Amino acid sequence: MSTKPHDDAPVRTYLGLAEVGETPAEQKLTALKYRKTKRRLLTFLGIVATAVLFGLSLELIGFSIGELLTQLPQFIEALAEYFPPTTISIPFVGVGIPFVDLGQYWAFMLEENLILTYEMGGSLLGLGVFPPMFYEGITIVPGAMFETLAVALAGSMLGMPLALFFGVMSSERVIPYPFNFLFRLTMSLIRAIPGLVWFLILIPLAGVTTFTAALAIMVDTIGYLGRLFTDELEEIADGPIEGIRSTGANKSQVVSFGMLSQVFRQFIAWIAFDIEHNVRAAIGLGLIGGGGLGLELYIQRQTFHYTEMMACIILIFLLAGTVELLSQRVRSALREEDSVEKTGVLEAFANVPKKLLASTVGRRS
Amino acid sequence: MSTLTVDDLTKEYGDVTALDGVTFEIEDEFAVLLGESGAGKSTLLRCVNGLTEPTSGSIVLDGEVVTESRSDVGMIFQQHNLVEGVSAYMNALTGSLSHVSMLRSLMQWQSREDKLQALEALETVGLLEEAHQRVSQMSGGQQQRVGIARGLVQDPRLLLADEPVASLDPSSAETVMGYLKKAATEHDVTALVSLHQVNIAAHFGERFIGLRDGQTVFDVRRAELTPELIDDLYGNVDTVGLADTHGDGPASEEIEPGPETEQVLAQ
Repeated sequence: MSTKPHDDAPVRTYLGLAEVGETPAEQKLTALKYRKTKRRLLTFLGIVATAVLFGLSLELIGFSIGELLTQLPQFIEALAEYFPPTTISIPFVGVGIPFVDLGQYWAFMLEENLILTYEMGGSLLGLGVFPPMFYEGITIVPGAMFETLAVALAGSMLGMPLALFFGVMSSERVIPYPFNFLFRLTMSLIRAIPGLVWFLILIPLAGVTTFTAALAIMVDTIGYLGRLFTDELEEIADGPIEGIRSTGANKSQVVSFGMLSQVFRQFIAWIAFDIEHNVRAAIGLGLIGGGGLGLELYIQRQTFHYTEMMACIILIFLLAGTVELLSQRVRSALREEDSVEKTGVLEAFANVPKKLLASTVGRRS
Repeated sequence: MSTLTVDDLTKEYGDVTALDGVTFEIEDEFAVLLGESGAGKSTLLRCVNGLTEPTSGSIVLDGEVVTESRSDVGMIFQQHNLVEGVSAYMNALTGSLSHVSMLRSLMQWQSREDKLQALEALETVGLLEEAHQRVSQMSGGQQQRVGIARGLVQDPRLLLADEPVASLDPSSAETVMGYLKKAATEHDVTALVSLHQVNIAAHFGERFIGLRDGQTVFDVRRAELTPELIDDLYGNVDTVGLADTHGDGPASEEIEPGPETEQVLAQ
């Protein structure tokens, strides 16, 4: 038998630092132990570095449990305003059950026209699109919620053609190597600047308005949707491209029939996802002046009207949830036929709470 | 009614010579390319179709030099190369892209004639009833027939097929080849088809061109195709010789000099 090196230096042997053994197996064992030691050291260093960074970050943000404890009563007070209590009395029994006073929310939604309202006279939507004679009598005035939705939809629609253009031009199969990078770079630069900052940048162009918010979403869409398009185009098969090329089709026909037709469904699915994302972005833009529910929420916060804030938040929840639900339905319908288990309408509505929960938790499918 | 002339065609990929001075002429025939994998069949077809640029030599179709993909040369691929997400009809219709403007083709404003032609081509390959179906939902044989239909819609003078039945089961292979032959005959098109299966080739072909290492080994009509030629092409002689030098071994048992091909050719 070979000598046992761990007799004289057990720690060094364990760490793989002792003399290498004699047989190839012993040598390999020592080498493996040495590698393990190195890996452990690295892990330890990583944990220390993370801990230091975490500590410094807490220091920088002024994290303080004491502050939380002193402020807690104030927060609880605010909670009572977020969810104004009331009692619902059960008829014939005379017992009251404590509950949230939903009426207060509703009253505020009506008062500030958060959803929509109508007026006598004027034209449809108050936009003057149709001559008043068609709509003599009633004008629908869209409220803050629809303003937010409009910002998201208009921004998405304006950005989509450009996203398609940039996405296709970034593909190496369409534009040869160094030049496609110009388009890629443009999209990277757009993405490097958050949508909120794009809004600030564009304020001189169209003011602190919903219009500017839609423009900011448009720019954002070019960066994000374009990138998703490019990624999708990387995955396509060469066969169909060659097939179309062999028919004598011209270059742009090869791109649209050989390439884009392969990813058409995926593109629609990404567009649905992007609209969903843009609805949330539009709410955020509202907070800095882009109108809609976000702006309303910000105004109420500044005046410490917590009940009114919660009314806005409830509508945000409903709007974002509904759009997400619709978008999910579109995407699952577009998914390949192998997942044909079609959910009925009733079933879809039964799933609403689960999906809303999933979407607020932030899970992505 | 058309003539394909391939003259001294050479294609090199770096150090590898895929085609080495291939010369032949076919006229209104159903010609079959035979040869082992890597013999240069695909390269030859891709050159004739303009998908690959030859290193030297010329390809002439009815007096015109072929330099790029053109609508009057239809191509059927081994992996069919269809757009799977759309219907058989839409795929067949892409055969008419070359004479339709970008905008019209995008909006599907092709003429009624084009649309009817696409459906008639699908009828030729027996898929009129399935025209609305998505290609990804079809069987391998059906997909290949859609590929033939797309080639027909191009109104070609020359139809090329690169191992069109290599990935199909024997029965589908026969069906597809039957439709291919029918399409070529009905539309009066010269066809150049590469095949692996000698029995199918012998059954459908009128002219046989054998390739090995990028060179023409034989170029014969049906009557002249002998089992010896086939055995020679697929290198049975070589293999047996090799097995002999090594003495015994299972290789010599397996490779009897082509009784199967003889049987097939006797049909």
